[in-house]
Parts: sequence; C-alpha cells; structure tokens
Amino acid sequence: MQTVRMALNAMATRFELLLHGDDAVLLRGAGEEALAEIKRLEQQLSFYDPTSEISQLNANASKEPVRVTPRLYSLLRKAAEIHNETHGAFDVTVGPLMRCWGFVRGRGTWPEEHERKEALTKTGMDKVVLNDAERTVAFRQPGMALDLGAIGKGYAIEEAGMFLREGGITSALLHGGTSTMLAIGTPPQNTDGWPIGISDPLDDSQMLTSTSIRDEALSVSAPRGKGFQKDGKMWGHVIDPRKGYPVQGATLSAVAHPSAMICDAISTALLAMRREDGKQVQQKFHGMRTLCVYDDTGAADLVSLEFHSTHPTNQ
Amino acid sequence: MSKHTVSRRAFLMGSAALSGAGLVRAANIKTRLWPGNRNDVQCGIIGYGPQGRDITATLARVPGAQVAAICDTYGPMLRRAQRDAPEATRHEDYREILDNPDIQAIIVATPTHLHRDIAVNALQAGKNVYCEAPMASSIEDAKAIARAARDATGQIFQVGQTYRSNPQHRSVFQFMRSGAIGKPAMARGQWHAKESWRRASPSADRVRELNWRLDPAITTGLIGEAALLQMDVAYWVLGELPASVHGFGQIMAWDDGREVPDTIQAIFEFPSGLHMMFDATLASSFDEAYEAYYGSDSTILFRDRGKAWMFKEVDAPMLGWEVYARTDRFYKETGIALLANATQLDAQNVDPTEDDPNVETPLWYALQEFMDNHAFGPYPPAANWERGLEAAAVAITANQAIMERAQRDIDPASYTLG
Repeated sequence: MQTVRMALNAMATRFELLLHGDDAVLLRGAGEEALAEIKRLEQQLSFYDPTSEISQLNANASKEPVRVTPRLYSLLRKAAEIHNETHGAFDVTVGPLMRCWGFVRGRGTWPEEHERKEALTKTGMDKVVLNDAERTVAFRQPGMALDLGAIGKGYAIEEAGMFLREGGITSALLHGGTSTMLAIGTPPQNTDGWPIGISDPLDDSQMLTSTSIRDEALSVSAPRGKGFQKDGKMWGHVIDPRKGYPVQGATLSAVAHPSAMICDAISTALLAMRREDGKQVQQKFHGMRTLCVYDDTGAADLVSLEFHSTHPTNQ
Repeated sequence: MSKHTVSRRAFLMGSAALSGAGLVRAANIKTRLWPGNRNDVQCGIIGYGPQGRDITATLARVPGAQVAAICDTYGPMLRRAQRDAPEATRHEDYREILDNPDIQAIIVATPTHLHRDIAVNALQAGKNVYCEAPMASSIEDAKAIARAARDATGQIFQVGQTYRSNPQHRSVFQFMRSGAIGKPAMARGQWHAKESWRRASPSADRVRELNWRLDPAITTGLIGEAALLQMDVAYWVLGELPASVHGFGQIMAWDDGREVPDTIQAIFEFPSGLHMMFDATLASSFDEAYEAYYGSDSTILFRDRGKAWMFKEVDAPMLGWEVYARTDRFYKETGIALLANATQLDAQNVDPTEDDPNVETPLWYALQEFMDNHAFGPYPPAANWERGLEAAAVAITANQAIMERAQRDIDPASYTLG
C-alpha cells in the first residue's frame, strides 16, 4: 500500500489530497488531474479575477442576457434549486451585500442604513432570469453580482472527486481549507471510514465531536473567523440574504451528504436559519446528516440530526 | 461531401455578395445574434482530453459557434462531454462526424501523433479544420497535413498556435519590430511546472494510451508539448527561424522508469547570430513561464499569456509615451507595462493597474478568428499551415537534439513543402 499527499493553493484556500493505493505513480497522476480541475474551475468561477466567466457575467448580465457554458449554467440552476429549498437562506446573489458590509476585501464594517437597503434591492435569486432554452443569465436589477463563494469550493471538490474515481482511485480524502471535504472509500486501516473531528466554534483547541465519512462529503461552516466587533457582539462574514444583516442563526453547522456541493451550500444556509427551519431543510435532502450549534439560549446547544458521532456529544 | 462542394453557408454568403456588399454585412451581423442561431458554425471536436474540454468550454462563449459533435475513444471522456455540451452528439469513431454533412468545422485535439489521419481525412471530407499544436510529431506527418491544407483551396486550416491571434501579443510584436529593444543581444525563455505528466486510469491499456507524452517513440517532449507556443512567439517576433539547436535533457524529479526527460535545456541559433536559450522542467514551478528579449536599449519580458513589460537601459533614448505608462516593480527593476489597449481602458475609466476586464484568453481569440473566417473568409489565418509546419519542424528537431544530447541543424527543407 502506497500513500501520496498533494496540495494546491486555489480559491483563496489550501486544498489537500491524500491518496492510498498500489501504485504511487498512478495515484499522483490521478491526483494531478483532479487538482488541475480545481484550478480550472477557480479560473472560471472566481469573483475576484476580472477575466473569469463569472466576472464577465457579473459585468454584463444587467445589460443583456449572457450566454454561459453548460456546466456553469447547471451550477446556477442547482444554486437556484437550493435557494428554493432553503427559502432564500442560501443565495448566490449576496455579492452587493458582501460589498456593502465590507467583507469583499476586508474584515467588515457596519454600513449606513441606506447602503444596506440599497444592497438589499440588488439581492435575490428571484431577480436572476435563467433561460434554459438559450442557456442565458440576466439580472433584473443593475448592480447585481453572483458570488459563488458559498458553493464553488464544494462544487470544485465534487468535480475533482469524479476525476479521482475515473482515474481508478478507491481510497482518498480531499479537502479545501478543512471546511469542505470529500471521502472516497475508506483509509487502509479503518473500514468505518475517514475519522473527522469538528472543533468547538467558541474554542478552537477543544474538539466538539467527531464522526466518520465514507463515500460522502462533509462541510463545516461558522460565521466567526472573519468579522468585526460592534456593541460587544461579533458580526461574522456570512450575510443573511433575506435580511441583509450578518447571520444570527447557528454558530456552527456541519453537513454530511454524498454531494460536496450540497454540503457546502447547506452548511452556509443553516447559519442563517432558526433551528426548526434547519430541520425542515435537512429532511428535504435524502441521506443528509446535520449538526448545528446554537447559542440563542445563552448556552451552547448542539442539535444533531442523523449525525452519528463516534463519541457521544456531551453538552 | 467532396472538398469541392460549396458548403450551404458559403453558398448563402456568396449569393448575398451578389446582391451587394451591404447585404453581406447585414447577413454577417445577423449570424452573430446567437445563441442557438441556425447559422452557427456546427463544430465537431475530436479528442476530449484537457485540450478538447478547454476548446469546448471556450467555443460555448465564442459568437457563431456551436459544438454539435464530440468524439473520444474512452468512455469517461464521453461522459464528461455529455455534461459539458449536452446538446452535442457523441461518437467513438471520428469518421461518423466527418460523414455528417451538417458539420462544417473539425477541431483536432487528440494526442499529437494522431493528428495526421484525422486532419487529412477531415480536409478531404471538405471540412474546415482547426488542428491543435504541435501539428504533428514527425516531419513527415506535419508535411502530409500541410500538403492537404495547401491543396484544400476554399477551406480553412488553422493550427492552434494561439498567440498568433492574441491582440496582446500582436501589440507587443509592434514594439519589438519597431526596434524598441535596440540592437538585439539574446533571448531566453522558460516553462516551469511541478507535475509528473503521468495520467491514470483503471485500465492498463488506457494508461499506456493516456501517457503518450512519455512515450519516446511518439512524443515531442517538453519542447513540443509545453514550450511550443512560447517558441512560436520567439521566432515570430525575432523575424527569423532557427538554423540549429543544441539540446540537453535530464530526469531530475520523476525517476519512475520514464525515458523522456523531465528537465530540458535547448539553445537555438538563429541565422543573424542571435541565440535563444529555453529551459523547461516538471521538477519546479518557480517563476512559471516567460520569454525575455534582451537588447542594447531595453529588455522586453512576456508572461501570463501575453502580458509584457519593457525594462529600459539607463542610457536608452526616451520614447516619449513611457512617462505616462503604468509601471510595475520587479525586485530592483521597474517594468513599463506594454498594454494592448491602454487608451481604450482609459476611456472606460478602468484603472490601468487593474487587469483588463475585457480581455479573453488566447484560445478564445484563436477560436474567434477561426469562426470569423467562416463568416468572412476563407482567408489564410495568422496561424496557417505554413506556421504549423515551421513550429512542428522546430519542436521535432529540438526534441531529437534533447534526446540525443547533441547539436542538430534544422533542415531548411523541413520548414517548407518545397
């Protein structure tokens, strides 16, 4: 049994890939193709690269319908579906709100009320016209912008995983910035799957719980990490697209599901949802397991739905 | 369809031309009202590896193009094709695409050594052909394709030397040709990456086929498969073809039983006496890829698919415009950015220190030129069969020199059909 480790800097994060198999040369070959696909998708989907397909779409879709590649089109269709399933808590049109809250290139600032209201008028997947027959995308409002930050990494990992499987890989773990990961098969010494620990959102040094994944993806989201303090409260970089304020739902969410893209999107959406709504969403996706931490009652409250921990969660 | 058959589109264009030049314009403008216009050029992609996928994704955004058919001999590639271009038909035998009279253009994106039969058969079937670079892996094959392209009058043949169509390269080309570097001294280029060049598949047969770049019998090596576009720019801007090449090759990083070097150096001698040194490696990604042209007045550096900077010597004459130009720091050097459309950017209030938001990739411009040729041509494209033959001759001879660790003259007869 041989092991190959590889890494890639892309999408403003570090991707790491661990592969097990009989032939290190072939493992690396398959890994290189998968990582190259992530790099390619970064160039296509980057909000910051002015030559990316998404930037060109953002620059022109308020003026006229913009024809996009079939794969970007189906990704946007999927984003619209998840938007519906989450009653708007997941929304790739948050670009103007992110900008208004200063989260695009900075750590965030409290905006003027009129700025926030104006950004809200430019937000909403319902203001995006997707034309299946023409494969075009158009914005109903000027100044709108699609930001695939909450789904792009999961999508890239899912696509890369497909390349790995096609390359004959049967045991691998791929993650982007440790927040979204995909497991193929199991590691050589552990037939249960890949053990994954989830750290406490309030104290990184503490492990909240752990689980194992096998032919499954897992995504963990938390609004902390990037944000600012105001009135003794932490305002994180995830915006509730319906309200136009930083999210006040779960302080941490973890989602396990076969699709890394769905994990990535839903883990973000759960941060903007109350616990009852979160439960409803989880039931809409077959085979989904979720874990959320809420501190709305003053104490951390861990809500696990089908989330089989490898050790009991003691809260 | 015989190659002499006038395509339906060419016929329509021809009849419009009869009724007056104004109508031709009108017809052309109409064909650009895409997507889904029935006048879109129906394209068949043959070979669906990374390059075939890149071409398909790019064509989806080029006005007037429709990917109608995709061929690959490997199941997973066809599954990718279905996702990338759901409306295209899928084939394991490329002849099915050549037999389809609705297909006007064939894009050859197979491994290099398979180009010959496909390109020649496509031209003989009356198709317009875009053939990836290098055009072939042997001089004999390159000449066979060149001959077929030359003889296919009224058809388009373009080779994938994309920088020839890139507005940014064309713009810097003017600086070079206007003598901005003074008396040329030398040139050097590099292509650096950290990757094994190995490809994986669950099937052993398929592994052998996928790893054609590492098969010494058919590959053109790093100088052909990685450095070709950069070398193509070199002898384009220098205005002369190399006369000889001295090559070196080593296996420094990936000693996995391969015979094809993962690290190479080649020194090209040009008839004027100028030398160009090129190195390429799969062992280190440091500083990636660029070319530099050194002269008595300045050095011009190309990188990132056509960005360019000029580094002036302190005693060089003033050119005038450079005081207004954007500059970038490179450690202790200051580079004057050579932008293709600086005044246009200014008019759009785009900060010249930002990347141009309107810029497309060299592949996009090359494919746009190919599509425009269907509407306005046929005319010889910037990267025509002659350019393809020259590039193939340089790459193939240089690769032989590298494999033999020897000096080789490039037979002038290999550059032309004679």
